[in-house]
Amino acid sequence: MDFLDTIKEKASSDGNADLNAFSQRGKKIIGYFCSYFPEEIIHAAGMIPYRMRATGKSDTTKGDIFFSSLNCTFVRRCFDKALNQHFDFLDGIIFLNGCDHTRRLYDNWRHADIKPDFRYMFVAPHKIGRLAEERFSEEMVNLKTAVENAFDLVITDDALRRSIHLYNKKRQLIAALYRERLKESVPIKGSELLSIMLTITMMPVEDAISLLETVIEKIDGRKTHKEGDLRVFMGGGCVEEIAHLELIESVGASIVADNLCLGYRHADMLCDESMDPFLSLARRYLNHFSCPRMMNDFRRRLDFLHTVKKEAAIDAFIFEKLKFCDLWGGEMYLCRQESRKHNYPILLLERELYGGSTGQIRTRIQAFFEQVRNQSYTPSELVVSAGNNYKAVMGGITREEKDHS
Amino acid sequence: MDGHELIFAGLDIGSLTAKAVLLENDIMIASAIIRVRPSALDSAKDVMNAVIMEKGLSEQDIACCCATGYGRLDIPFADLNMSEISCHGMGAFFTDNGIRTIIDIGGQDCKVIVVNEKGLIKDFIMNDKCAAGTGRSLEMLAKTLDVPLSSLGPLTLKSWRPIDITNKCSIFMELEVLDALYSGKKLTHIAAGLSDAVAKRVASLSASVQMENPVCVTGGVSKNKGVLKFLEKRMQRTFVVLPVDPQIAGALGAAVFAMRSFEKKEKEAFRK
Repeated sequence: MDFLDTIKEKASSDGNADLNAFSQRGKKIIGYFCSYFPEEIIHAAGMIPYRMRATGKSDTTKGDIFFSSLNCTFVRRCFDKALNQHFDFLDGIIFLNGCDHTRRLYDNWRHADIKPDFRYMFVAPHKIGRLAEERFSEEMVNLKTAVENAFDLVITDDALRRSIHLYNKKRQLIAALYRERLKESVPIKGSELLSIMLTITMMPVEDAISLLETVIEKIDGRKTHKEGDLRVFMGGGCVEEIAHLELIESVGASIVADNLCLGYRHADMLCDESMDPFLSLARRYLNHFSCPRMMNDFRRRLDFLHTVKKEAAIDAFIFEKLKFCDLWGGEMYLCRQESRKHNYPILLLERELYGGSTGQIRTRIQAFFEQVRNQSYTPSELVVSAGNNYKAVMGGITREEKDHS
Repeated sequence: MDGHELIFAGLDIGSLTAKAVLLENDIMIASAIIRVRPSALDSAKDVMNAVIMEKGLSEQDIACCCATGYGRLDIPFADLNMSEISCHGMGAFFTDNGIRTIIDIGGQDCKVIVVNEKGLIKDFIMNDKCAAGTGRSLEMLAKTLDVPLSSLGPLTLKSWRPIDITNKCSIFMELEVLDALYSGKKLTHIAAGLSDAVAKRVASLSASVQMENPVCVTGGVSKNKGVLKFLEKRMQRTFVVLPVDPQIAGALGAAVFAMRSFEKKEKEAFRK
């Protein structure tokens, strides 16, 4: 089995076998939601942060008893897994006000009194700014105290600094993988990167670093795309279905950039290791490439569309939201307006997590790609990093013909 | 295959029916529509056999075959596949180069497709909520009325007072139909209410794209004159009538793409 296949297999499961082994060796595992959660604090406490996920579960029967069907499938599935004892390996769980659906998850978890006993609500600001940084920094100190009290341990500043250093290293490696995707020859698929992200967010950071180093070494010289594949940007929330990205790739695309919960945000911005660790964490987690939950950062995200179009030579944008996700709903509207203004091809999808309907989704995506091939090609001035004339023929129009027309 | 020019095949394996078209010298020489079989491959084989046998041909006589529809990926003898959105656009355009918008109402979805001056997709919208307003829901509701699907259109045209069906969901629509039946409403008015309900959904979908004239309707539901009547009224447009059976537009478009693909490869081979 190929190295990346092994990672995919691990990513597609809950990863409980590995995590149970850690538990047996005395390691505590703390689940968390959202990319605004500072894993460093958990690591500094000598525990393993585990990003909560809906993988490996096929329905929401029990979850639907607690949640209305107007809640997104991510929280309903996660809660269903909890009710079915899929998260019994956890020693603690930290919720985040990423959105109101995950906020409600905290209420239901407490109400149902499901394991683990340590359940904590961590509140991240919805705005970026100096006041928010200070507030967020206090929230981190509160979290540290709560963890110390619950598990009877001490998190020293030195331990936290060491953790920050390791997580910075992990970020640099992820960023290196993202840079590789900017190349003309894309050495790693979007679906493969998603597998890696799912895997490294359920293992100790030391192992994650070693895995990322191996991946970078193994993909050297690799080419994953076919002639004529479109270079695609993916935007969306907690997209964790590897098969969904594989479907997009299978109809003629190479996903080379993203704004996903498990995506670029994990690579963007390092923590300043020279300053107060809590303030440094607050600054990094508030200012990294943002999610639509951040209410005063729309312009930066829209500007990113233009930057990424040039840097990654994007041919088409796909944005998607889970049903009932208002945050991504608003974001998609703005992105569509911005894309139309600049004549960027954009496809908006609304779907359920692990919701099936692959036939319809495939048709829509394939037709969108056919439409893009019919009408546009990446002008040479936008191909900054992708080399010369790499896409001479697109949909029957050669660059020479287009330039002379 | 004496006396034949190059022949190109288009297959449209949908959710309810499978369609095939043969093209020779830019002319459609055969077409067939069958009810789908248990597998996409069986449907493709059977519908292909129907057209090639009609013309006394064999599979080897087909220069290139393109598949479309929901079963398009499962046809090993197809040389390429295209989305049904491209194929319906191209198929309608091929029969009338003036057409710019195609409303395709198929078995399980409907699409509004705007094409450019080459018949290629310029913009499109496709229903993503449920199957209400498609062939499958009409088929189910015709069963509730205990009339053949093909008579829904003629019944509609006889009505002067369509009932108002307010639900968007097919299941709730069925309850409304039953309620109308039990309260003694005329069959014609109920059929007209159903046709109008489908038209309402399609008209609402079409508001999301910038439609261009002339407009035509393809897909199985385009044969329902009742739906067409209400759709024209709701959209305040008059539809162009295609010179071919509108249900085979997707397969025809696929055959055109097969021809284009073959010609492109020939040109590339010649250049080498």
